[in-house]
Amino acid sequence: MTATVLEPSAQAALDFAGLMKQHQAMVFSVAYHYLHDREVAREVAQEVFLGLHRNLAAIQSPAHAGFWLRKVAVQRSIDEGRRRLRRPQVPLEDVAEPAVEAAPGDPLLGETLRKLIATLAEAPRMVMILRYQEDLDPMEISEVLEIPLATVKSHLQRSLALLREKLARRGLGER
Amino acid sequence: MDWLEQELKSALARKEPPPEFAEGVAKALDGVLPDAASGPRRNLVAWPSRTARRWLAAAAAILLMVGGGAGYRWHQGVEAKRQVMLAFHIAGGRLNHLRTHLKEVSQ
Repeated sequence: MTATVLEPSAQAALDFAGLMKQHQAMVFSVAYHYLHDREVAREVAQEVFLGLHRNLAAIQSPAHAGFWLRKVAVQRSIDEGRRRLRRPQVPLEDVAEPAVEAAPGDPLLGETLRKLIATLAEAPRMVMILRYQEDLDPMEISEVLEIPLATVKSHLQRSLALLREKLARRGLGER
Repeated sequence: MDWLEQELKSALARKEPPPEFAEGVAKALDGVLPDAASGPRRNLVAWPSRTARRWLAAAAAILLMVGGGAGYRWHQGVEAKRQVMLAFHIAGGRLNHLRTHLKEVSQ
């Protein structure tokens, strides 16, 4: 019986494929929710994985890969947002008014929320994405974004208050 | 967690990238990512390392200098030989002329 021994490059490639499969939704979603553009998000996510492939030798564990990918996805998304000067992509005034009251989990309310988040400034926008997409606590968010914990908490509180106000103005307030 | 935070979690849930995403990354890697069956691609002739390339360049420069010097010396030798032969030719002509003149005087 002969054992198949993969060369280091082949092993790395297989690991890369596995890492990509595991994390592609996270990387793509960070970029998509931040940039609010599916095609641009795809390009950013692709760049992030190309960066991972170049730096695969420096990745020590699957957990390290996840942390690395999240951090690079965040940074690339912010860079791309600055480059394209797309903020705010959709002026707040242009967000469609719902014709009927939205139910919990309603796609209409979800889309309104995504558009409202897209109008936030870059730091609070990314804080909200990391909090509610990635379910990170404020301490983890401060590590990823390299900003003080108090700033993260402040961004969260202010953004939530702003969203409540905007939704209430549109008749989508607390039920 | 209140209703707004629940709605935010729902609105910002992870989304899968387009189906062709992985294929696009593999294409961008331009074949660096091998499939398990075919194994990694290799160049038929290994490209020399950076150090080896420097040594090869130095060796080529030395060969060029030595070869150039030898060629120049060979060219100088050929030229000297041509000049000596020309001198012999001129001297021979004059000797013939002198011999003819002496023969005429003696007669």
